[in-house]
Amino acid sequence: MSAGLENLKHVVVLMMENRSFDHMLGALQAENPKINGLSGTETNLDTSNEPAKAQPKAEFQGQLDPDPDHHFPAVHKQLFFGTPGPPAAPSMKGFVQSYFDQRNDVEHSRKIMYYFAIDKLPVLHALARNYAVFNGWFSSIPGPTVCNRAFAHYGTSFGKANLDIFYIKEPFKSIYERMLDANRTTKLYYFDPASSTQEVVNLLKNQPQIFATYNQFLDDCKRGQLPDDAFVEPNYSDHPGDGGGELLASDQHPDHDVQEGEVFIASVYNAIRQNPDLWKSTALLITYDEHGGIYDHVAPPSCVPDGFEASLDETRAATGDVPFKFDRLGVRVPAILVSPWIDKRTVVPGPEDKDNGRVFEHASIPATITQHFIGDYDNRSPREKAAQTFLDLLGDEMRPDSDCPHFEFD
Amino acid sequence: MPNVIRVPKPNRKQSYQPHRLLGKNVLLQNQVKHFKELEKDLPAQHQTGIRHEEIRTEAEAAQYIRRMTEKLHQLGGKA
Repeated sequence: MSAGLENLKHVVVLMMENRSFDHMLGALQAENPKINGLSGTETNLDTSNEPAKAQPKAEFQGQLDPDPDHHFPAVHKQLFFGTPGPPAAPSMKGFVQSYFDQRNDVEHSRKIMYYFAIDKLPVLHALARNYAVFNGWFSSIPGPTVCNRAFAHYGTSFGKANLDIFYIKEPFKSIYERMLDANRTTKLYYFDPASSTQEVVNLLKNQPQIFATYNQFLDDCKRGQLPDDAFVEPNYSDHPGDGGGELLASDQHPDHDVQEGEVFIASVYNAIRQNPDLWKSTALLITYDEHGGIYDHVAPPSCVPDGFEASLDETRAATGDVPFKFDRLGVRVPAILVSPWIDKRTVVPGPEDKDNGRVFEHASIPATITQHFIGDYDNRSPREKAAQTFLDLLGDEMRPDSDCPHFEFD
Repeated sequence: MPNVIRVPKPNRKQSYQPHRLLGKNVLLQNQVKHFKELEKDLPAQHQTGIRHEEIRTEAEAAQYIRRMTEKLHQLGGKA
């Protein structure tokens, strides 16, 4: 066991909304060729048969309106356009065509290929440079938020591939229930009651005791009271604050301001970073639930089937009467693991490396937390049992304080 | 302090859009839908009385979500 792992007492997961790997981190390939980002030659054909290039023109707000479709049928088109569909390999050529379907505007549809230029995202890009970037972290399902977030909480979506409410099926317990059963501490921090959680039915209704607000998270970090396992949700809406004032959505969901999300990510990082005891004993994973319909060039791989079949009502528009068996992953998303025990500029290879590449998905989150804090635990979904864990990235050397960045707000 | 990275904040005046229509954000729309479904199971005295059709903007959604979240905490998992 590495010294980093021996010192590890807390795992914090921050899950943002709806941005693909290439959109947020693709530009970084230009300064670090190990990052599997964009070379500048990637294209999709638009509906007038002209190539739409991936370009570093993404803006913080105003470009992705309407919200790009990322329900199962739309994602199917984004992945398999120009192919006969699965089991053929995804072409990744249908993003522009899919976005055109929403506004019938060729020029506008090409914006789905835009990505953020280097240093336009100072927080995410700094974290990627300073800690570990995953080249092969994929959303769990080629579909929307709720089912993808379910994989982070339960290791499965219980057969759902859409935004509908799902119901827990035995024997799979959420990671929070497992932690409590094992006498460990756990918390799910939502931003505030007006933003609340995306785990509406299954967690809030049944286990309100595991929930707390983001202010409580900040306080817990300050006082060294952080639980073993913490999951942080951003603010999902623009709304008035408790004592007046204006709170901006920080989830980065289109068309919310991406810059406010940067501020939020930096504040989570700083809260951990500023407490020396916490800093040396915490691993922070920052990831996104799914790609939000936005372009990524890496074809999602197949995976172990989850033992469920999605209802044909959810998938028929894409795959006809062939049921979806949760046997292939969704589009790649950004994922960065932060800890002073991780070497600077670490890049975890993905599918581009045939020999050493590793594939992660959101089921890797409960898999990792269970492995570290609980140990052997059999009642888990097939997907979670097969998922890669990520704490082996913590090494033996703790980097000095001066080597790890600190964020200050303008 | 060494290794400091400056983080610019967004222009709040420009970015803050509480009157953004809920129809523009499928996620938020569904969050409201989930709370609505949950509310149906609450005893009459705990219902908000807010009709689904009245929730048209992000700020209105946030106001409804706040009431439901506080209500569920109050009920302590006994909803």
